[in-house]
Amino acid sequence: MLDAFQKKNCFLQKVNPALKLGSVLVIIAVMIPIFDPWTPLLLFGVTLAMIVGLGGVSIRFLSLLLLPFLLFGFSFIWIQVVFPDERGETILFTIASMPVALENVFTGVSLGMRALVFASWSLLFVLTTEPTRFMLSLVQQCKLPPRFGYGMMAAYRFLPAFQQELQQIRTAHRIRGLGEKRKLKQFKRYFIPLMAGAIRKAERTAIAMESKGFDGKRSRTFYQRIQWNRSDAVFAGMFVALLVVLFYVRMEWFI
Amino acid sequence: MITSRTLNLREIVVMAFISAVFGVLYLLWVFLNQVITGVLGPVGGGILAGSWIMAPIVCALIIQKPGVALIAELIAAGTEVMVGSVNAGSVLILGFTQGLGAEIIFAVFRYRSYKLPVLMLAGMAGTFASFLTMYAMYGYSQYSSVVIWAMLGVMLLSGIILGGWGSHYLTHSLVRTGVLHNFALGKAEYQKRTEDSA
Repeated sequence: MLDAFQKKNCFLQKVNPALKLGSVLVIIAVMIPIFDPWTPLLLFGVTLAMIVGLGGVSIRFLSLLLLPFLLFGFSFIWIQVVFPDERGETILFTIASMPVALENVFTGVSLGMRALVFASWSLLFVLTTEPTRFMLSLVQQCKLPPRFGYGMMAAYRFLPAFQQELQQIRTAHRIRGLGEKRKLKQFKRYFIPLMAGAIRKAERTAIAMESKGFDGKRSRTFYQRIQWNRSDAVFAGMFVALLVVLFYVRMEWFI
Repeated sequence: MITSRTLNLREIVVMAFISAVFGVLYLLWVFLNQVITGVLGPVGGGILAGSWIMAPIVCALIIQKPGVALIAELIAAGTEVMVGSVNAGSVLILGFTQGLGAEIIFAVFRYRSYKLPVLMLAGMAGTFASFLTMYAMYGYSQYSSVVIWAMLGVMLLSGIILGGWGSHYLTHSLVRTGVLHNFALGKAEYQKRTEDSA
């Protein structure tokens, strides 16, 4: 499901992964000093529109992913109402002699929406970026040493194998008559064989890489080159425009 | 055998694989964490905080070289992003600060001591760093100080128990399987055992 969207031929998929990742970090930095509920709400709406409109992700899939975050975001509201730093003046109503102030609800909504903005902008990255392209872009554009980039890609390729192995371990335990109770002990029973297998596989993979001539030098050639292109300029322009508009709207109406 | 202080390919790939296994566990934990946080609030979310710091501490304990804790946590974060974490941005930032927190403790002991108290300290430093990051990122300054202190306490405790003791326990169980004989920790264990039997 995930890679169907990552491989789509839409605008966001063409943008350089390094640039998209940079935009995620900028968004987080920009949101830190904001405590009103409207700015994150606006940004959240824009982000969703971008993911659906420019990334070609179906709305149903997107809302399914964001649903657990609604609960997470809600926790910010009730904690803010019950334990605020300063209780607000405008009392809306009281629950069991505890006043609920409008200001606190607003701050809570703001913080909850902030968490949702982080999540949605991260989804904008994750849903439109192929993992391999992400790593290659880190190696080619961000000067990540190839040893690390290819090491991570190798580990990523083995994830389905881990899943299979976990199934195998489970079956093996069941044959030996080990039941499903006692959760904590159970964790170790799965974790240790899985880890041991992973470490063995890792050593073999490293030896295989070296025997094929992988030396981690930067002068290597690449099968797939990630280049800067027009979409990157458009994306960067749009991103700056979004920040400017956000700043302007905030200055005009919300303060 | 002379061991260099820099990381070789074998160690990097092993770190990536260990982090990948943890990365997958983290994906499940993130989900669990959100449910707990949603019900109990951010203080409850602190209970699992120590588990995030396990990957770097396990790697540092196994490989015992400078920079391992920070790099391992970054690799874990990178793997999580590749797998498709819904929290890519904050995961990367938190990965960096947590790894740095643990790394500082190992650096203070000059990468020589990897005993349980040091690991516990590293776990505590890692969760403390992640607390500071989350304080800024999720606007914790807007809550009353009671909540903040409770959260810090729960997180530090979780860092000590899950991050420090948990990693120590799991790694030493792993040594007994013999897969770590090529690494600093496994070698030390192997030497000790041959001396005992001699």
